[in-house]
Amino acid sequence: MESVKKKGPSVLQKILVLIIILLVLGGGAIWYIFNEKFSDTAKTKSDYIIKALDLIHEFEKNDSLSNRKYSEKIVVVNGMVSEVEAADTTVNIKMADTTSGSYIIFAFQQQHMAEARNIKQGDQVSIKGSCSGGAYSEILEMEFITFKRCALNK
Amino acid sequence: MKKTILFIALVAATGSIFAQKKTTTSGTINFDATTSKDALPKAENKTAIAAIDTKKGTIAFEAIVKNFAFTNPKMQEHFNGATWMDSEKFPTATFKGNITNLAAVDFKKDGTYNAEVAGDLTIHGVTKPVKTTGKIIVAGKAVSTSAEFSIKLEDYGVNGPAIAAGKVSTEPKISISAGLQ
Repeated sequence: MESVKKKGPSVLQKILVLIIILLVLGGGAIWYIFNEKFSDTAKTKSDYIIKALDLIHEFEKNDSLSNRKYSEKIVVVNGMVSEVEAADTTVNIKMADTTSGSYIIFAFQQQHMAEARNIKQGDQVSIKGSCSGGAYSEILEMEFITFKRCALNK
Repeated sequence: MKKTILFIALVAATGSIFAQKKTTTSGTINFDATTSKDALPKAENKTAIAAIDTKKGTIAFEAIVKNFAFTNPKMQEHFNGATWMDSEKFPTATFKGNITNLAAVDFKKDGTYNAEVAGDLTIHGVTKPVKTTGKIIVAGKAVSTSAEFSIKLEDYGVNGPAIAAGKVSTEPKISISAGLQ
C-alpha cells in the first residue's frame, strides 16, 4: 500500500500568514495609539508634591530650569485658593503669591469640572494636574504657571 | 491742604488708568486643525491671559503653548514636538493689536459691538500681521470678547509629515474668547 505524504504549508503560505499577523498587530497598535485618551489624573501617580508658594518661587528664580523639571509632569500642589475665575463654561482655580502677584492656574479635567465649581476663594486645597510650565507675562508683568487636566487630590 | 488735593488727584488718576484696563487670566483659545482624514488635531487652552484697554483700544493675548489640552496623548506630543510648535524653544504664543474701529464700540454703554481688530500674532517664534472681526459685549463693568480666524501654518514655519499628508489642516481655525473685568 502506498502511503500518502501530507504536504505542509509552502514557504509562500508561511510568508503570507506572517504578513497578515504583522498587519493585524500593526493596525491594532496604530488604532490604540490614535484612540488612546489621557487617563483620569485623579488615578495617575504624581511625580512631585509641592506647596504653591514654593513652586511659584522656584519658577520666579529660574523658569527655564523649572520648566525642564516640571513640564508634562503630574504635580500635586497644596495651597490656598486666591481666586476662582470663570473660564468659558467652567471655572479655573488660582493660587497666588500676594507679594509678587505671580500665580499658578489650574484648568480642570472634563470629569472633574464639578469639583472646581465647589471650590471657594480662601479654601485650603490640594490639586493634582499636568504642569504645562510657566513664563513671565509681558501683559501682567509677573510669572504665571499653568496646569491642565486637574483634579482635586483627595 | 495742597498735598491732600494732590494725593486725591493722584489716586483718582490711578483709579481711572486701572479702570480702563480690563484683564483675565482665564481666556479660552480653541485650536482646530481637523481634516476629513483626522479628527484628533483639536485642543483647548483655558488659561490665556487677555487684556483690553478700553480707552486706547489695545488688545493683547498671551498663552503657554503646552497648556493646549488634547484628548489624545500622541497628538499632544506631536503638537509640542520639534516639527510642529517646538514648545520647548517657543513656550508662548502672543497677540498684540488694536481695535481699528474704536469709535464704533461704546464701552460705557451695554451692548454687542462688531470690532475690527488688527495686530501681530506670534507663534513658533514667528510674528505675522493678522486682521479679524470680533464681537465685544459690554455688560456693566464686564467686557466679553470673541473672535475667530484662520492662520496658514507655513507662514509661521510650522511644517511636518502629518501636515504634508493632509492629516492636519494647513489652515487651522483659531477661536478666542475672554470675559474681562
